[in-house]
Amino acid sequence: MIAGAIIATYALLAPLTSLDAVQSAGVPLLADKLWFRIATYIAMFMVMATAWNIIGGITGYAAFGNVAFFGIGAYTTGMLVAKAKWPFLAALPLAPVVASAFAALIGLPLLRLRGHYFAVASLGVGVAVGELVQNIDYAGQPLFGGASGLFLPILSIDNRGLFFFYLMLAAAAIAIAVTWWVLRSRFGYGLIAIRENEEAASVIGVNTTAYKVGAFALAAALTGLAGGIFSQWNVFINQDNAFPIEYNVQMILMALIGGTGTVFGPAAGAVLLQLLIQFLGGSLPISFDIPFVSTDARPIVAQVILGVLLVVVVIFMPRGVIDFFGGRSRLSLSYLRRSLRETSL
Amino acid sequence: MADFVQLVVLGLLAGGVYVAVGIGFGLVWGVLNIVNLAHGALVIIGGYITWQLFSAFHIDPFLSLPVDAVALFVLGYTLQRGVINRIIRAPLLFTFLLTFGLNLVIINVLLLMFGSDFRSVTPSYSGQGLELGNVVVPYTRLASLGVAILTAAALAFVLNRTRIGLAINAISADRDAAQLVGIDLRHAYAMTYGLGAACAGVAGGLIAMIQAITPTAGEPYTLQAFVVVILGGLGRVSATVVGGLAFGLVEAFGQSIPGSGSVFANAIAFGLMVLVLVTRPQGLMGRLR
Repeated sequence: MIAGAIIATYALLAPLTSLDAVQSAGVPLLADKLWFRIATYIAMFMVMATAWNIIGGITGYAAFGNVAFFGIGAYTTGMLVAKAKWPFLAALPLAPVVASAFAALIGLPLLRLRGHYFAVASLGVGVAVGELVQNIDYAGQPLFGGASGLFLPILSIDNRGLFFFYLMLAAAAIAIAVTWWVLRSRFGYGLIAIRENEEAASVIGVNTTAYKVGAFALAAALTGLAGGIFSQWNVFINQDNAFPIEYNVQMILMALIGGTGTVFGPAAGAVLLQLLIQFLGGSLPISFDIPFVSTDARPIVAQVILGVLLVVVVIFMPRGVIDFFGGRSRLSLSYLRRSLRETSL
Repeated sequence: MADFVQLVVLGLLAGGVYVAVGIGFGLVWGVLNIVNLAHGALVIIGGYITWQLFSAFHIDPFLSLPVDAVALFVLGYTLQRGVINRIIRAPLLFTFLLTFGLNLVIINVLLLMFGSDFRSVTPSYSGQGLELGNVVVPYTRLASLGVAILTAAALAFVLNRTRIGLAINAISADRDAAQLVGIDLRHAYAMTYGLGAACAGVAGGLIAMIQAITPTAGEPYTLQAFVVVILGGLGRVSATVVGGLAFGLVEAFGQSIPGSGSVFANAIAFGLMVLVLVTRPQGLMGRLR
């Protein structure tokens, strides 16, 4: 309910920021161009958090390396546009295809692992793929642009910012629609059965390997799609912006804040957390000064606050922040005490 | 042939650091069932203590290792008692995220304190080495391998011969039964994490002598510790020692392949890990439970 409201507010307000009327009228806050870029970033994280939810929330496999699929999507589209001179819209559909093919390939060995083993192995894949992409050489030349990255030709259309915003928003809508479908399908019931008890699921006839690999590949396809759009939107990609390790945790935290296993939760969490990250980092038009902190130290202090926040959310609100708004529970001392007692020694 | 011997020597020496990093990580994982993503950050705290004592007071880095161990033990005990104990019964994703959050806080506090400059500890004897024919054995690396083995032996002694060690073994075997016989779980858990952190501190001191450190320099060590523990087999200190040395060897030989260099270090480490997990999940030295 509340998750839907957050997303609806976002979807209504965000495009306003680009309208000429708003710009020329100088409506406070909305008229800032920066908002618009942030709005597109939010849509990007909506896709990633919603996609993570399919493997992490619905199937219950704690994937910590999904950024690999984002990067693979970005580099697929990037290579086709920059090197093979394909038109962007022809190159984009290949991003999810390549990302999910890769996920299926590594999913076969990785998804045999469980618990910690799967989590860290997937984290390792995320790190290793970025490293390989930057360092693979072919005939003495870096195959994927190497350390200097890839430059894509700028798309020559009007309202470029608006175009990419809607494209990213469409990807988010697709991700949410896919989740909605999954949760109502035989496939989704199989995934939930795997999350609750994998042996039991296997006994009642769920082909666990195929289902798990399917969920992993589906999540990879959506994440790769976001990566593909990002590459043309940002025009420049390299290891740092296509494989940022911190995205792994951000998408999980978004899903967690919004509520894992739900349709709209992860997307709502993406809106909240991304706004908070930008706010703390000082890049929002409405900003504030952190006392005793110089501008240079500010991004670092923002990271400290984010880390403390992560610890607090995990300890006190393991069911997500959204839990408080839906009328299911109220934020109170006894709620916090109860969450604490459930998990502590 | 001399190249081969040199590679073996360098690999084993490098393995010393992996042993030191791995034993603390393996202890926390095996007993508390926590994959401690903040382990590398704890390691680097140890490195900064050694660096600070060396640069401000010219204290020999090997002499500051006990300081690292004690400081990190106190920090680790406090962290477990105050924070991590509160989510010890939560699903694994939460312990993962919690330790990642701690990692983020520690690294950025270090950045605020020390900046992102490279810091190195260079006592007068660094850079010197023993020459045996064509094979060179650097003194600091040889000594740090010795220290790592000694630390592992000390940890094994604590775990097998002392009262708290027996308590730790008991909670590792069966938490509820351990509680029934009167073991203070909160204290025993905090002691376990404290011991793990103390080993991380020693590892950090050793690393500061071998490479220049920055606040983020510990991150690769978290992942490598995980691979080392899997390689040896979870649950015993001696298995981690074997895992660490084996990992050092694999890395040395991997890096010697022409054209690969050190850039594929992570890819090699994780390829190895997946291979071990799929073919021999109990590790080189592990017993099937």
